[in-house]
Amino acid sequence: MGNMSTHSINNQNKLIQFLFGTWERTQLSISAGLLLLMVFSPLVIKSPYYIGVITLACLYAFIGISWNIISGFCGQLLIAHIIFIGLGGYTTIVLLNNYGISPWIGIPIGGFVSGIAGVVVALITVRYGLKLDYFALFTIALLVALRTLFLKWEFVGGAVGMYLRQETPSLNRMIFISKLPYLYIACSLLLFGIIIQYLTYKSKFGKYFIAIREDETAAAALGVNLTKYKTLAVMIGTALAGLGGGFYIIYVTYIDPTGIFNLGFNAEMVMASPIIGGLGSLVGPILGALVNKPIAEIIRANLAEARSGITMIVYGIFLISAVLFLPRGLAGLIQTLYYRWFHGITSTHQEGE
Amino acid sequence: MALLEVNNITKSFGGLCALRDFSIEVEKGEIVALIGPNGAGKTTAFNVISGYYHPDSGKVIFNQKDISNLRPDQICSFGLARTFQIARPFQGISVLDNIMVGAYAHTNNNKVAYENAMGILHFLKMDGIKDQMASRLPIASRKRLEIARALATEPSMILLDEAMAGLRPSETDEAIEIVRKISEKGIAVLLVEHVMKVVMSLAERVLVLHHGELIATGKPEDIVKNPQVIEAYLGESNVTS
Repeated sequence: MGNMSTHSINNQNKLIQFLFGTWERTQLSISAGLLLLMVFSPLVIKSPYYIGVITLACLYAFIGISWNIISGFCGQLLIAHIIFIGLGGYTTIVLLNNYGISPWIGIPIGGFVSGIAGVVVALITVRYGLKLDYFALFTIALLVALRTLFLKWEFVGGAVGMYLRQETPSLNRMIFISKLPYLYIACSLLLFGIIIQYLTYKSKFGKYFIAIREDETAAAALGVNLTKYKTLAVMIGTALAGLGGGFYIIYVTYIDPTGIFNLGFNAEMVMASPIIGGLGSLVGPILGALVNKPIAEIIRANLAEARSGITMIVYGIFLISAVLFLPRGLAGLIQTLYYRWFHGITSTHQEGE
Repeated sequence: MALLEVNNITKSFGGLCALRDFSIEVEKGEIVALIGPNGAGKTTAFNVISGYYHPDSGKVIFNQKDISNLRPDQICSFGLARTFQIARPFQGISVLDNIMVGAYAHTNNNKVAYENAMGILHFLKMDGIKDQMASRLPIASRKRLEIARALATEPSMILLDEAMAGLRPSETDEAIEIVRKISEKGIAVLLVEHVMKVVMSLAERVLVLHHGELIATGKPEDIVKNPQVIEAYLGESNVTS
């Protein structure tokens, strides 16, 4: 009997080793698990409202990843990241409404446009040596400038904004009756984001991003071209944000300058998820989004009837407590537990690595 | 042609002239020490050579290329590496990852960079701490990591800025051994050092800076007898002990 059970225990150990052998692997496994949970959630959750919340949580996770690459990996405080979501969104909807170009093409073009805009912003800020808080302020100023520009720009709808024309549902125009296709598109986006983030993290430029975050001066001494790699980080992150923005507009069917070029919404959509989940970690944006979006939604659903503004106050308190009590985010908490317990058990299997 | 030629560098900060008409030459594989009292301009000299400051006048020639106005990362890719006086490890990542950042200077391939980094770890006897977070390292290991990262960029010359300050005597001996091994690989070493024991046992040539000007150059045993140097820097007791 010993033989059989040793064999199965061995297999089990191998599986555990494969999934949780290193902290990196563990983060990937958790990410994949959460993604699968979202993909299969319609089996249990039938209400379109909740499916909608999950879809947006999934999108927030994707957008969180895009910001995580810039601010988490590379340490560039691109506060007003929502600029690039807005640009991607506007590109997609202008292409669809004015030129009849399908969102399946329009969303990637939105990503491309945002990526280019990101490169321009990065080059300008690096050229004039804007770092940290000055860089952050520059992006906020840009947000305000763009909001004013879009308010006056009639071609993109001015202050009224742009609506998705409600037409008969069609795959080509990415209009569906059921909520499920949107969920699956969001999940595919997130899968794409997880893969890009992981490849970035493992590559030469990912290592360079982290080196820049930790110490620019020392990184330069080791041959890191600061301009090139900061720009690259911003380009990857903003291009992903553009994709997310394109899908967001198709999903909510509406965009207007005050709604999208908005710092409050920026905090909820872009910054909250990676910060709650753990900025700079691989799994943080996903963990964070799954906490952030439902809580934001619950607060809105239950308190919207009360005094106006109370939802923002409660949500703000929630964000402040998250930062105070989990400075390294949920991922930091899990990492500590991982090293304390799980790694203690498997460390004997680790020698070979 | 010397590997590194610094020709008549002058560098001022506002009214303060940190380096005046400073010239040195370092040959391939040579170990040269730069000494002088605090504020003499040693670190400024390093910063000018490695591209962090651009000289007001004068030229830095490395490997027959004028590098006076290049960026630090370009200078590094030409094979001139440096360390910092206060070690600046990338705190949030492991020792191995720190060294890999250096190893990527001449390759885009993960595997090549990994193997080079492992080679450096082995060369500096750091195998045992490769997975530790850099933030948890004691001072001696930080200083060694500083050297390891610089070596990983495959330099033909390395600038060591007080690589042995703050070490215990036994650690200093190990560090001296490391510098000797680096030199045996054919890598030229220019070191700034206050620990005279290090200077005496390593340097083939010593340069003495004082108020931004070179006041003496020569063999270590001659330098310690030079009255000007004694007055400016060493003091009587240091020489006799």
